[in-house]
Amino acid sequence: MADASPPRRRLDRRLVTIGGTGGLLSGLLGVGGGLIMVPLLVVWAGFRQRDAHAMSLGAIIPISLASVITFGAAGEVRVGYAVALTVGSMVGARVGAGLLSRIPERPLKIVFGVFVAGAAILMLVQ
Amino acid sequence: MSGVALYATLVVFGVLVGAVAGLLGIGGGLLIIPFLTLVAGASQHQAEATSLLVILPTAIVATIVLRRKGIGDAGLALRFGTLGAVGGVVGALAALALPAHVLRLVFALFLAVMSVRMLRDGLTTKAE
Repeated sequence: MADASPPRRRLDRRLVTIGGTGGLLSGLLGVGGGLIMVPLLVVWAGFRQRDAHAMSLGAIIPISLASVITFGAAGEVRVGYAVALTVGSMVGARVGAGLLSRIPERPLKIVFGVFVAGAAILMLVQ
Repeated sequence: MSGVALYATLVVFGVLVGAVAGLLGIGGGLLIIPFLTLVAGASQHQAEATSLLVILPTAIVATIVLRRKGIGDAGLALRFGTLGAVGGVVGALAALALPAHVLRLVFALFLAVMSVRMLRDGLTTKAE
């Protein structure tokens, strides 16, 4: 696939708003920062689907770090569970990110759309 | 489930969560939190706090892999994410003031609209 690298982009108003929205939602609900940032990065900021996923993951780092610092102090973390999940997820993340770098845009959009639809239903049912 | 079986299940589930997170560009809290409450017997607060601790290294690993492959712009993402973290603190404070079901409803409606948009684009755009 002849994908050109994304054009260099500066920190503009839209990106700041998207980061703020992702952070706001994570803070409000504890979940969903990525789910809201990816579609906004594609539809509003004009990133390709693949780049939007990568940008969302990058933005999640400081957002979750702030939450860990803010709420971690409460001491509610089940450390053993966190370690077990993380051992697996660090392996899985390599697999998923590798797949993201190879999958064509179309199926990626469809997979994401299906997941988001499922998440919407889950949120409504709960 | 108890002991070794539970931890083995957590590791396997972690692989799945990491793969989904890395592919879809999400943290994975939506998957981790219900799993911890329903399967591992954690409380909602424990599940949320534990989930955050798992999301951080997962997102770091995925970002490093994608940066190496030249996808996205990690530096730019970190910068708008840092500003987003400020929004996170505001959101956490607002969460205390607003009813949770209203927030969930607004979020669900947004996701429903976006899923239609993504599916429509995915099904109608020309193959690369």
